[in-house]
Amino acid sequence: MYYLGVDVGSVSTNLVLLDGHMKVVEKIYIRTKGSPIKAVQEGFKILKDKYNNVKISGVGATGSGRHIAATLIGADAVKNEITSHAVAALEIDRDVKTIIEIGGQDSKIIIIRNGVVSDFAMNTVCAAGTGSFLDRQAERLDIPIEEFGDYALNSNIGVRIAGRCAVFAESDMIHKQQLGYNKADIIRGLCDALVRNYLNNVGKGKEILPKVFFQGGVAANKGIKAAFERALGFEIIVPKDYNVMGAIGAAILGKEMAEKERKTNFKGFNLADSKFESNSFECSGCSNRCEVVKLIENNQEIGCFGDRCGKWSNRVKSILIK
Amino acid sequence: MKITAPHLGNVYIAAKALFDGLGIEYIMPPLNNKEALEMGSLHSPEEICLPYKIMVGNYIQAIEKGADTVLLPGSCGPCRFGKYAEMQMNLFKRMGKNINFIVIDAPGDIGIKELYNRINQISRNSRKGKAGQIKALLRAVRVMNLIDEIEEKAHYLAGYEVNKGECKKLLNSCKRDAMNTNSPRDMIMVLEEYKNRLDNVKIDKGKNPIKIAIIGEIYTIIEPFSNLYIEDKLMDYGVATKRKLTPSWWVKDTLLKPTKLNSLKIKRNAKKYLSLGVGGHGRECIGEAVLAQKEGFDGAIQIFPLGCMPEIVSKVILPTISKEKDFPIMSLVVDEMTGEAGFVTRVEAFIDLLERRRKNVLSWS
Repeated sequence: MYYLGVDVGSVSTNLVLLDGHMKVVEKIYIRTKGSPIKAVQEGFKILKDKYNNVKISGVGATGSGRHIAATLIGADAVKNEITSHAVAALEIDRDVKTIIEIGGQDSKIIIIRNGVVSDFAMNTVCAAGTGSFLDRQAERLDIPIEEFGDYALNSNIGVRIAGRCAVFAESDMIHKQQLGYNKADIIRGLCDALVRNYLNNVGKGKEILPKVFFQGGVAANKGIKAAFERALGFEIIVPKDYNVMGAIGAAILGKEMAEKERKTNFKGFNLADSKFESNSFECSGCSNRCEVVKLIENNQEIGCFGDRCGKWSNRVKSILIK
Repeated sequence: MKITAPHLGNVYIAAKALFDGLGIEYIMPPLNNKEALEMGSLHSPEEICLPYKIMVGNYIQAIEKGADTVLLPGSCGPCRFGKYAEMQMNLFKRMGKNINFIVIDAPGDIGIKELYNRINQISRNSRKGKAGQIKALLRAVRVMNLIDEIEEKAHYLAGYEVNKGECKKLLNSCKRDAMNTNSPRDMIMVLEEYKNRLDNVKIDKGKNPIKIAIIGEIYTIIEPFSNLYIEDKLMDYGVATKRKLTPSWWVKDTLLKPTKLNSLKIKRNAKKYLSLGVGGHGRECIGEAVLAQKEGFDGAIQIFPLGCMPEIVSKVILPTISKEKDFPIMSLVVDEMTGEAGFVTRVEAFIDLLERRRKNVLSWS
């Protein structure tokens, strides 16, 4: 009995395979690079080579590309990232009270009390502090992103960086650089600024109690983790599979749904070899003028998205959010 | 005179009934759409609230089709809506367009005589006699009440329907059929028929759907385009929703305001948290949140445009209510930059939150 979770995010596409005890057997982390279909196919190719003969009993999809992924693979559950992250964290530790999740382009806070989500928030106005911004800064400073956080740990005092807006934060960093501050202090300053920004925007008015889990790609950044601990005054935990927590949650939700329905919609690993095409057009049926995307697998239409009335999306019976 | 009016939810249906009844030539702006918003944003100050921008877009699209007179409700109240009419008049003057604005303000603000003057600007174009005009007005009010009633019913029953999507389908075809009629009388007949049909929708009384109250700023909760069709989405998810603020509620509230007998229940419930009017419908938002909890809703969603002063006040008060009453409330801010993906994620996550909370409570008891 294996369960598959797929998380198609803005920056990365993650796939995990769980065994019957919800233990991670395989995790795959692929850069989405703007083409979610290709990323999912790439992941499936790896899975097909290794696990072609295992029985998949439930599949879940999450992330901003969850709908397209669900249509491709035949997911049993399609859930938003917030629920998926919470479910995954609660599977590891029932006592978790707060989840800080920072991904490629959005950051979230999830408040959990008594084992259920009681409140959450997402960044609204600015993406400063998310993965793509850090990526870009690492590139600009010519430091591999993997080592970015370690630089911050080598500094004793951070330079104050204006972190409210990504563009201004960058200007401020360049300004400090030109004044002669060293890289390590600037990076630590940046980490502090981003954490400040997160706590003031996303975490505003939320009661952050330990245990705090730090999830999402940015959790790899030790500098940010240290900055959070400085700001909050207690230890925060980065779970072992921090970068694929969304996919783990999706797999668990997929299992729940498949058990409830007593079947799985999983289409098998063969989609790695299929040819996918997507066409978009403006529907002229009424004054709403929806932009519709049509997904085609080997010359056969498998799903449509983007219409409001259901004229297109109901043509091929795809799974709805249950 | 070719008259037009900005969109607000289903008011366009009542407006059609009114102008058809009066026999006045009118031009309905196309239903709110992206182009209207883009054009509106282009000609509006950046910081102004979303409704202003969409309304300007409505005028521009109606003027393109030949409208020369704009009819809109006014207010001298303490929210920015009070400035809309003046600012919009200036805007079109600057654009070199000769557009006549007829602003219907409350008689308390402009005097009953001035109000008559303004109404007369419209009614003198009607060939109907006084009695005929009053009849047309009453019929339009009837249309508005009916469509609000139908919509409320459809939104609520969507949580109980046996055949998924039936309520939504009925609601959509109701609006379409109403707009295809040629006289207010026929329109009322169509609406009555749909009301009956909704009463006969097969429902499962044993179902216990998630129930959400929609509260917040009146324009952004009534006008579906501005809130990314949140009520339609909730219907798709099988959630029963209720929204107290409707155009017919607004008319009643405005008419009763001078007597201070308006919305007593809402005011009474808001009192503990906000005892003063803070402009717009800030106090109503608080009262409705408290009421929704009492009426057994699972949660509430507050929607308001970026920078809306009264709703910012209520947004700060809502967490206190949420904590004291153990009642989840989510605030959503909309403007022309609102991305649909993030918006939908939040709504879905909120429904999950309510569902899982319920399961948890049940498993404990």
